[in-house]
Amino acid sequence: MAENNHPKEMEMREAFGRTLVDMGREEARIVVLDADLNTSSKTVLFKKAFPDRFFQIGIAEQNLFGVAAGMALEGYIPFPSTFAAFAARRALDQIAITICYPGLKVLIPGSYVGLPTSRAGASHNCIEDLAIMRSLPNMRVADPGDNADLRAIMRTALEGEGPVYFRVTRLTLPDLFGPDHHFEWGKGVIVHPGKDVTFFGTGMMTSLCMQAADQLANEGIEAEVVHLASIKPIDCDLILDSVSRTGCAVTAENASILGGMGSAVTEVIAENYPVPVRRIGVRDRWVDSGGIDELFTLHHMQPTDIAEAARESIRSKISGRVR
Amino acid sequence: MQLTEEKLHYLEDTAYQIRRLSVEMITYARWGHIGGSLSMADLLAVLYFHTMQVDPARPRWEGRDRFILSKAHGSPGLYATLAVRGYFPIDEVYTYCELGGRLEGHTDMTRTPGLESSGGPLGMGLSVAVGMAIGLRLKETPRARVFCMLGDGESNEGNMWEAAMSAAHYHLDNLIAIVDYNKVMAKGFTWNLMSIEPYADKWRAFGWEVIEVDGHDIPAVADAFHRAHWVSPHGAPVVVIAHTVKGRGIEMAEFNYKWHTQAPDPAIADKILRELAQAYGRPEEGYSRVNEPVGKETFYGGE
Repeated sequence: MAENNHPKEMEMREAFGRTLVDMGREEARIVVLDADLNTSSKTVLFKKAFPDRFFQIGIAEQNLFGVAAGMALEGYIPFPSTFAAFAARRALDQIAITICYPGLKVLIPGSYVGLPTSRAGASHNCIEDLAIMRSLPNMRVADPGDNADLRAIMRTALEGEGPVYFRVTRLTLPDLFGPDHHFEWGKGVIVHPGKDVTFFGTGMMTSLCMQAADQLANEGIEAEVVHLASIKPIDCDLILDSVSRTGCAVTAENASILGGMGSAVTEVIAENYPVPVRRIGVRDRWVDSGGIDELFTLHHMQPTDIAEAARESIRSKISGRVR
Repeated sequence: MQLTEEKLHYLEDTAYQIRRLSVEMITYARWGHIGGSLSMADLLAVLYFHTMQVDPARPRWEGRDRFILSKAHGSPGLYATLAVRGYFPIDEVYTYCELGGRLEGHTDMTRTPGLESSGGPLGMGLSVAVGMAIGLRLKETPRARVFCMLGDGESNEGNMWEAAMSAAHYHLDNLIAIVDYNKVMAKGFTWNLMSIEPYADKWRAFGWEVIEVDGHDIPAVADAFHRAHWVSPHGAPVVVIAHTVKGRGIEMAEFNYKWHTQAPDPAIADKILRELAQAYGRPEEGYSRVNEPVGKETFYGGE
């Protein structure tokens, strides 16, 4: 398969662009719609490979998603591409009513997500997309942990029915999975087994959870790391199975803690098997311009912060109190 | 292209049926947008019974003309049209807005036979129509056209003009927009709420060919659609600006914003429909369910 030839070290957005091209070769109904960001999102690769199936809609995101709905109605499989901020904020109504309400197969990549984007600041660093997209009936939502995960998510989205929102991180992420990685909607993966605390990570944060688990291992704490790329539907069984063994949890997402993966996990835990949980993510504030490392420190989303949240969660478990 | 006397009579009768059924279903459901359903009744009659190539037995026939109701609150007018055209039984209009029914308050394409899209929030439909027109061209379905019914009020929406700009950019001469320019929005006249004039000039400035017509003059409307259908100069999209009267056919509702969303009492509906029949020179016929008891919402503790 062509995608196995992709170099190992690659920004996820580059892997996204190449996977689009690979899939475009196999599936003639794929069309890509852009809102003047194709060199940033890397849909430019598709534009070069299939100029007749690439549509420039201009800086008009509301129209971008409405046009995508229309093309889906004519049997095409559109990827309307823009920054996550402009999809989730600007075009929410169009995504909700023209795409999700009728359940059209429109596959929406959200690029420039969370903290690691550029130095653009609050307007472009999208931290709300997971919460917003998760709340739309019919929509499936995923945040891939590495390039193999991204490719598998895009494949299953293409093979399935209905709308999908998936995130494309700008960074080069360390590999979590091999090229034979399999992704299934509503299924999480235990990437590191443990017994004292569960890390539920999504997107790029799963790798940081692995680092946190390594730090904790030095203290004799065995942390389990569960990767939840599929945020909706979410893997209730695996969440409950893991916390029933570990008794406490930490969630970590490259997004707001309000309404995203951490909320989804705590909803499942609170309704079925209440245990102490700490959440890592942006805590109800806008994201300033700054360096990536600085931002992760500012928002307490570094591996050391995740490890500390695990210690707190374990202390709560032992004391039998939430705080 | 001249309409025959027989065809004209048929289209007028169809418009009468669409108006009648719109009032019937809104009265029975006790909710619905009556003014905007009546203002476009003549346009819908010409579209579905003269201009558009459709087949109710094959709602998804590939070669069909597509219709998008961007002003989706006008759904009663469209449901009445689809029922008369044979997409579903006429009696089904009495399930409008009923839980579990197929006729939602605003359009849901997954439920109602003949609907091409789902809508409700204004300003979105033209984008969907643009996507369909691009898709049809890509598939090389040369004959099929996309018709999109817009409201004048939704011209306030920025999304509509984004769509208009892109239609001209892509030279979508297989796309025909129709504006039901009924001059009245939910809470008053357009010129008091948000001025949209010079309206035709706006469309021309966005690269569209403009045809203006009296939206209640059926031969003129048929001619306008014919010209829009076959004469698309420079590969430009065409907009038919149809000057209409909100609430047309009910004297007390005409140009009256209070009838934007207004379900008449059965006794009023009965009177209205008798007057409508008289205006059309038809046998007097009132509201068909005038003797049925009107239920009340029981959510707050029952009746």
